[in-house]
Amino acid sequence: MAELWDGLREAIRLISHGDGYVWDITFRTILVSSVATVLAMLAGVPAGYLLARRRFPGRTLLLTAVNTGMGMPPVVVGLVVWLLLVRSGPLGGFELIYTKRAMVIAQFVIATPMVVGFTAAAIQALPADLPDLLTMLGAGRIRTLWLLSREANLGLLAAVMAGFGGVISEVGASMTVGGNLDGNTRVLTTAIVTETSRGQNERAIALGLILLALAFAVNLLLTFVQQRRLR
Amino acid sequence: MELRFAGVTFVRAGREILNVPELSFPEGRVTALLGPNGAGKTTILRLAAGLERPTRGTVRIGGTNAGRATRAVSAFAFQSAVFLSGTVEANLGLALRLRGVAAGERSARIASALDACGVGHLAGRSAHRLSGGEAQRVNLARTLAMQAPLTLMDEPLAGIDDPTHRDFVYQLPGLLRRAGATTVFVTHDRDEASRIADDMVVLIDGRVRAAGSVAAVLHHPPDRETAEFLGYTLLPEPVGATAIIAALLRQGGGGEPFALEVESVNEAIVGGEIVGRIRGQRVSMPVSGDRPLPAAGSVVQVFAPPEAVVRFDC
Repeated sequence: MAELWDGLREAIRLISHGDGYVWDITFRTILVSSVATVLAMLAGVPAGYLLARRRFPGRTLLLTAVNTGMGMPPVVVGLVVWLLLVRSGPLGGFELIYTKRAMVIAQFVIATPMVVGFTAAAIQALPADLPDLLTMLGAGRIRTLWLLSREANLGLLAAVMAGFGGVISEVGASMTVGGNLDGNTRVLTTAIVTETSRGQNERAIALGLILLALAFAVNLLLTFVQQRRLR
Repeated sequence: MELRFAGVTFVRAGREILNVPELSFPEGRVTALLGPNGAGKTTILRLAAGLERPTRGTVRIGGTNAGRATRAVSAFAFQSAVFLSGTVEANLGLALRLRGVAAGERSARIASALDACGVGHLAGRSAHRLSGGEAQRVNLARTLAMQAPLTLMDEPLAGIDDPTHRDFVYQLPGLLRRAGATTVFVTHDRDEASRIADDMVVLIDGRVRAAGSVAAVLHHPPDRETAEFLGYTLLPEPVGATAIIAALLRQGGGGEPFALEVESVNEAIVGGEIVGRIRGQRVSMPVSGDRPLPAAGSVVQVFAPPEAVVRFDC
């Protein structure tokens, strides 16, 4: 117990004194996870819309795959992305392995099924005639997608929360494809693993607190927006 | 703008939903589309709107195939009144903006349509906070505000409370005629159809059973099933006048005394055994004491046996 309190004290000191190592990792984490989430939204929202609206052979299978993907272990995603990006792999020529881009790709793969799944559910929850109404009013495809997204904004905010929450807290994929290189691809989760294995519990706790605070702050912001729209 | 179906079939999941060799909705006329549930009424509207494509045949609006090109001349009031977030005024404004109506003209059109439908006071209300009846009236207002040459309405008066419904049934013909659009509306209500529409189409099992002026369809149902759907009561077997009157009395229920124009019934059916099909809900009005029926029935039409129809026009 004493160790935990010591850890907490040290963590607060590290955060309040602006420890360079800690803040460097924090900013990198925000960067990688934000880019991955934005990309997942750009791809996942239209895909979720199509899954919700269109009827085609294999749709149920695809929805099942998406739902399965929402719970896919990040380490498995990391392994698959690693196999693709490693020098001897099919995409090895791009030399992305052990870079922040590789981590973004892996996190994108983790977040996209969540965004697709939440978007499809949000669009399906809208009145069935709404898309047809917009079509009849003369809205084009992009405008229809925009207007429906605006209507389904609560569901889409849930998609952002799920996507960002999923990638910022994962460790397996980032470790596998990023390599946890100090000053380059180390992020909060992989740093926590490293510091714990080194016996640097204070640092690990400090990083853990920052990770929690970060996830809380992002979700607080999104929940605030979500609830304000409900009023 | 005429709406014409030619050789149209529509198949969904291997089942033929609609088979319409020929059907036209003349320009400027108001047509009621009647039929039991699952008859294909909404499918006809969706085909006309270009929201569905016929499996075979053509649906043409003013000579152009229904689809993206004709949506600009059509307005569709869906059965469920759906709105985007925002006020009633914002919803109508968006509809007109998407149709390219100039900003200066929008406010006047919105105010006029909302007033015509008796919901002018709801302009600033959130569209998601309307009651069912209010939403239907705003839905109707949005459709009218578009001033489209082809207006399609799927049960536009469903869910509106009785007094307002009566007002609408009275006002809507004027509103639609002033708009001058070719109008097709789906309804289950025969009285609503006969009061609002010029023409009537009866659809049963995806096939047109009767089409023509309201009077022609109502007074000359072409077959037993259509007559029954239109409210004629089918008596089980050929019977005489006495049995028909007895059946009428039974329909009245409760052993209440009735005042019926028995003379005219006798007159009409004397001379043969006929199958009587009687508009039961019209003639079964119980009265107390010796007071006569407020609207006593009289036989207005009898066809030759065995397809005889006895219709009371109360």
